[in-house]
Amino acid sequence: MRGQKVSMLLGCALLCSASLLYLGLSGIDCPPPDHAHRHTWADAHLGSTNQSQASPIYYGEDTPLIFIGGFPRSGTTLMRAMLDAHNAVRCGEETRVIPRLLAMRATWSRSARERVRLDEAGVTDQVLDSAVRAFLLEVIIGHGEPAARLCNKDPFALKSLSYLARIFPQAKFVLMLRDGRATVHSMISRKVTISGFDLTSYRDCLTKWSRAMEGMYSQCQGAPEGSCLPVRYEHLVLHPEEEMRKLLSFLGLPWDPAVLHHEDLIGKAGGVSLSKVERSTDQVVNPVNTDALSKWVGHIPSDVLREMDDIAPMLARLGYDPLANPPDYTRPDPIIAPNNYTLVRPDSPNQNLHPFIFVFLWTVSFVRETRTDGKSDRKGNMHILVMLEMKNPNAQ
Amino acid sequence: MRVSARRVLTGLLILGGISTLTQFLRFCLPCRQPSQGAGEPVTVLVRDGWRVSSDIPLVFVGGVPRSGTTLMRAMLDAHPAVRCGEETRVVPRILGLKLGWAAEKEGVSTKVLDRAVTAFLLQIIAGHGEPAPLLCNKDPFTLKSAKYLAHLFPNSKFLLMLRDGRAAVYSMISRRVTIGGFDLSSYRDCLAKWSRATQAMLTQCTQVGSKRCLAVRYERLVLHPRSTLQTVLKFLGLPWHEGVLHHEEAIGKPGGVSLSKTERSTDQVMRPVNLDALTRWVGHMPPDVMADMDAIAPMLGRLGYDPKANPPNYGQPDPQFLNNTQRLLRGDFKTPVASLHLNGRPLMSMKGSQTER
Repeated sequence: MRGQKVSMLLGCALLCSASLLYLGLSGIDCPPPDHAHRHTWADAHLGSTNQSQASPIYYGEDTPLIFIGGFPRSGTTLMRAMLDAHNAVRCGEETRVIPRLLAMRATWSRSARERVRLDEAGVTDQVLDSAVRAFLLEVIIGHGEPAARLCNKDPFALKSLSYLARIFPQAKFVLMLRDGRATVHSMISRKVTISGFDLTSYRDCLTKWSRAMEGMYSQCQGAPEGSCLPVRYEHLVLHPEEEMRKLLSFLGLPWDPAVLHHEDLIGKAGGVSLSKVERSTDQVVNPVNTDALSKWVGHIPSDVLREMDDIAPMLARLGYDPLANPPDYTRPDPIIAPNNYTLVRPDSPNQNLHPFIFVFLWTVSFVRETRTDGKSDRKGNMHILVMLEMKNPNAQ
Repeated sequence: MRVSARRVLTGLLILGGISTLTQFLRFCLPCRQPSQGAGEPVTVLVRDGWRVSSDIPLVFVGGVPRSGTTLMRAMLDAHPAVRCGEETRVVPRILGLKLGWAAEKEGVSTKVLDRAVTAFLLQIIAGHGEPAPLLCNKDPFTLKSAKYLAHLFPNSKFLLMLRDGRAAVYSMISRRVTIGGFDLSSYRDCLAKWSRATQAMLTQCTQVGSKRCLAVRYERLVLHPRSTLQTVLKFLGLPWHEGVLHHEEAIGKPGGVSLSKTERSTDQVMRPVNLDALTRWVGHMPPDVMADMDAIAPMLGRLGYDPKANPPNYGQPDPQFLNNTQRLLRGDFKTPVASLHLNGRPLMSMKGSQTER
């Protein structure tokens, strides 16, 4: 009797370990997504295209992709995590390859000689665009679970925002904006290496941040009407519901309260998939919070603080007071017109005066700057200029 | 034998325990995302109505530049079932990019990346020319990635052009054809690089296997075009077509040979196949290089080109094609480049078109 029991137990143990081994080696397919929570991809797609299709379904240039990007450490991961929590959207982790392909494509079109050679070979812009599109689609589609709206987050992909808007005419872009000082502090204090950035110098990083932001922001503004939405990180963490409602309306998506609690869906099917090697993962597992808003205060060297507006002109242009440490993020300053400080709109009667006032005050500031006592009054001048921009609500 | 109820109960309990354990493990062990059509071939829409999949028959022509790669693809282009077209220049670049990504730990999986590269390549190879039953691509250095391409395109074949390194190097130096990594001021450097590149490509070719990769010698192609092309067409599974021996008649014609104004071999490949370039290198090698030849370029000996012979005996030419060379030497095909028309457009020579790595 005892022997039989022992042998039976042994048999069970063997069976258990065998099945464990088998499951462990072969891998278990994830349980099918909870249908109450997610639309299945096929349903959503068939609904939108109004035709019955046998698989495979071909994605083309009309795919309504969502591209999230901006400067790293500007809340891009938080934004994509919150969108991932939406039942119709899937972004997934950074692909890292997309920005590199886009950069390579940009170099090919920059050289006029190369363009001629490529054209001679039949590799026209149209052929190259089809190839880039095919590459991007394969990466974005294969990168994670199916979803009604596919999305991609690679911060520097938006350095090619205009190009992406051209090859994907139905795409929408979300450009994350953040106070450059906070961004750079995050980069330096967490030692997040970005190629070309000297992590020992706030000055260098702020200068490069400003340049990069100028490029991305001007492309966002130049994008087709209603295709690019800049989102401030500060406003997102201070008023998440308001921002997300605005964003979802911009994207043409219905409201889903899950986006306000992305932390509940981490690692779940249909939810938020996080990368083990990405630098923001440890922060984004927490609910939306305002911890990181002003952590940069007191860490920037004083010489950099003094010359802040010269080092990083995009700060003022994006509505972050370069001399306030910190600015009041709860009262967002309006974003200043990108290309010219003198704004002329033919239908507005006040506009004719504006350039003259600007010139006058600029002359005044110039004179003030060269005071005989040798001291320059740049601070005062800054305030005059900033005030002037802000006074004009018609600024584009 | 009586099975006691107790035993049955115990058995059921055990089974129940195992199944609960399994379910529990399902949540504990990392689950695998169901692959979305990962096994299906990559399909791309090239132009209205024309879809191309990664399982189509494809042929990749390559080798070290100046080894007759353009001649080979021009002769293939003259076959009605084949379309190669010009060097795309971007195919080797994307392959190089992919090589640099091999070490990437996360981001996208290898499978997804391979599909993306496949889609890109298909769009370029198919999109840059006319449709044909057998599509072909000629970018010399792609044969360095033959194994990878063989994996991406399961029905692809490869033609590796081989040539006496001294001739290839003489050609690139005398014609000043810039090739990435080759120092055109030094025969020694170029020969050494030629040897290394040839070895790498030959290794890839061997690994792909003789059923899918065929090495073709330039010398044999120009000395015995008919028999060499018969071997090539048989290897590719194509019927014989006399037009491949007269590719120069199909230049600029629809379904024929499309040439690029900016490629460095265009002026040569516009003429019929000839022996002009076979031994031009003789007398141009620096004596110190000639003395060390076997040490500098070991692949010469390994491929059967005697490093001490200047020149080696490449073989006897076919009499019918000897006529071409004689006519060439007489000046029959020396049309001024400026007045030539390709595809209806006047040809203007462009300097310094760099062959891509």
